[in-house]
Amino acid sequence: MTEQQLKQFTAGTSLWQDAWLRLRKNHLALFGLLVLVTMVIIAILTPWIAPYGYEEQNLILGASPPSAEHWLGTDIFGRDMLTRIFYGGRVSLMVGFIATGVALLIGVLWGTIAGYLGGRVDMVMMRLVDILYALPFMIFIILLMVVFGRNILLLFLAIGAVEWLTMARIVRGQVQNLRKQEFVEAAYSLGLSRWTIIRRHLIPNTLGPVIVYTTLTIPSVMLLEAFLSFLGLGIQPPQSSWGLLINYGVETMEEYPWLLIFPGLALSITLFALNFLGDGLRDALDPKASKD
Amino acid sequence: MINKNLFVLFILVLLVGCGQSESNVSSGNRIGIFHMGNGTEPQELDPHIVTGVPEHNILSALLEGLVRKNPENLEPIPGVAKQWRISEDGTVYTFQLRDDAHWSNGNPVTAEDFRWSYWRAMQSALGNKYAYMFYPIKNAEAYLKGEIDDFRQVGIKVLDERVLEITLTNPTPYFLQLLDHQSYFPVHRATIEKFGQPDERGTRWTRPGNFVGNGAFQLTEWRLNKLIDVEKNPYYWDASNVTLNGIRFYPTENVSTEERMFRAGQLHRTGSIPIDKIAVYKKENPESLRIAPYLGTYYYRFNTEKPPFDDQRVRKALNLAIDRRQIVENVTKGGQLPAKSFTPPDTLGYTAKEMLGFDPEQARQLLAEAGYPNGKGFPVTSLLYNTSEGHRKIAVAIQQMWKQYLNIDITLNNQDWKVYLDSVNSRNYEISRAGWIGDYVDPNTFLDMWITDGGNNQTGWSNPRYDEIISKLAPAAVDRATRYQLFQEAETILLTELPVIPIYIYTSISLAHPSIRGLSNNILNYVSYKSLRLDPEAKP
Repeated sequence: MTEQQLKQFTAGTSLWQDAWLRLRKNHLALFGLLVLVTMVIIAILTPWIAPYGYEEQNLILGASPPSAEHWLGTDIFGRDMLTRIFYGGRVSLMVGFIATGVALLIGVLWGTIAGYLGGRVDMVMMRLVDILYALPFMIFIILLMVVFGRNILLLFLAIGAVEWLTMARIVRGQVQNLRKQEFVEAAYSLGLSRWTIIRRHLIPNTLGPVIVYTTLTIPSVMLLEAFLSFLGLGIQPPQSSWGLLINYGVETMEEYPWLLIFPGLALSITLFALNFLGDGLRDALDPKASKD
Repeated sequence: MINKNLFVLFILVLLVGCGQSESNVSSGNRIGIFHMGNGTEPQELDPHIVTGVPEHNILSALLEGLVRKNPENLEPIPGVAKQWRISEDGTVYTFQLRDDAHWSNGNPVTAEDFRWSYWRAMQSALGNKYAYMFYPIKNAEAYLKGEIDDFRQVGIKVLDERVLEITLTNPTPYFLQLLDHQSYFPVHRATIEKFGQPDERGTRWTRPGNFVGNGAFQLTEWRLNKLIDVEKNPYYWDASNVTLNGIRFYPTENVSTEERMFRAGQLHRTGSIPIDKIAVYKKENPESLRIAPYLGTYYYRFNTEKPPFDDQRVRKALNLAIDRRQIVENVTKGGQLPAKSFTPPDTLGYTAKEMLGFDPEQARQLLAEAGYPNGKGFPVTSLLYNTSEGHRKIAVAIQQMWKQYLNIDITLNNQDWKVYLDSVNSRNYEISRAGWIGDYVDPNTFLDMWITDGGNNQTGWSNPRYDEIISKLAPAAVDRATRYQLFQEAETILLTELPVIPIYIYTSISLAHPSIRGLSNNILNYVSYKSLRLDPEAKP
């Protein structure tokens, strides 16, 4: 056997390759991924493909139902709904992904370190989480806004910085459970460093619950953004996001139902896609699943 | 056995709990409680501090001045004073107080109570925004400005326990109307002194249980952001003619919520109605919809001390770039009039010269002259408004007009009512939304607020000629024609320098349940609670 052949024979499929193979078989998850990718592409291309300007008003036209010129109708200022949903998607998707990404990064690291090291370190780290939990979330965000001014990026970070707490707890629980198992001991006795154990063995094993929780976090973060914007803390008119569009749509849902239905649809489709993908990913990434 | 009984009891409790609950309106009609939507949560309930309409609505139930208004024609009618005499030259008013006027704790209301209340309202430490309402009284202006220290020189004199004499500098045709304004309401001295200094703001005397008033109702409960309850005051001199047993005021900042509450039978009356619902009510429920002319102006004010708004040309340019007709026809849609002056047209026979128009071409030119050709270099400016769907809509429309015609960027900034008031009073804003509702029917109520450092002039604007007209010349005018001519001159100054840009003239639009009797339409949207009745027979 040449060296080349030997390598091919011994090198197994990595966790990620493995996961991708399994994910490919899950049609629903693939469909979710496709929808999400389309959404992201639309969001990126919005400035070039949107039919109107998002702030272009036509007060005389006012709120009009879907028509040939305005496929999804117009809002009370005569602004094109399709355009506003496109632009709203940019903000909503960004908030969803960035804030959740921030939460994921801090939460997973914090939880694994606390869970794996245990003892006094764990005690200190988790009490810090408890303290932050006790801090009223609204006051925290308002304070941040007051100190740093109104900035859309800051909003993402602020939401992320609050959402990581639950993530940290979930991960810590998982890791505490895992670190007593044989494969971790085996890795330890083979002389792997702590950091390698955490990175190679613990984090991949926590991915299941983390992904489920992430798919739940993204929609709640999107709604949180709408809530904050409504209070005047998030993004401001004429900019918009799906959450805000829905918020305004609810107020006039009896007179102009399309102002609620279309942004609502956009948000629900995204959330469905996220859930399908999340489900698929969880199954695909489960290291305990048998290799068939 | 016991268990079985308990079980039956439990089921019974459940059944009672599930019973059809009675709506506020029908229970209110039965027991005489009036449920009223009242805009924002009140800032305070101290008549010498507050300035807003929601606060005024509550205070006029709790307190009563010397004179009241006839809700039909707004003519002065006796309040605490049962009669009054005016001297021939129109400057000395002698009020004879009722013997049966009492505070809600049973104390008699005396002339000294009024003198002390007026003294308190004029203390500078109290920061009364309406202190200038006292200017017609002899020496009051000098006292307020600290030129004289002795309150005895001010033209307010107690002649007898029940006789009060007020001397004015000039005959003031609207003086009696002023007496029904909150700044002229009496307050209970012993109560205020019990909870702090007379000129201390925000003491606990306005809390339920502490508040002592002399109005037809007394304060019983105040739950922040939930409700304010008042019930009939048994010591009120005219208690036998008060039909309502109580009023419940709900802070309803969100007009859509308020409208839903009305539809669900939770409110007898709303303070306003969502713009998009007007057409629906016109068609389906016209007897509940009330649209009436309203003596008020919706406007934007500039902080004239902050560049670039210290430049008159910039203010003019922004003014000329607002298409007011578009706003009233397509945004507010409630029969409002595009403002052509600050004072609403035909205010007691006075109509100011029309000076406000829409001319984007000239607006661009003015902005270029001020150093911002095509909006280049114009700082990003924030437009402040108190959180409300209606204000937001107008702000979004104007934001876009300024962007379209002048190419300048405005950010919108909304704040809760109390925070908003604080920002405006400390002049921590650039442009802010505002509205002014006449306190009495006379053009003076729209013009005297713009004198230098007037409590409600939060723009920093000042013009000596304007001050002279409003404080000296107009009050001394011999007849109405001369007086109105002076007002014309003053208003021309105001609309030339434009520290504020009027946008539209209000209409009062509200929903009122058909079971309400005795509610009259008047241009101040004034409600005399004591003449209201609820018909228990009316359809819920």
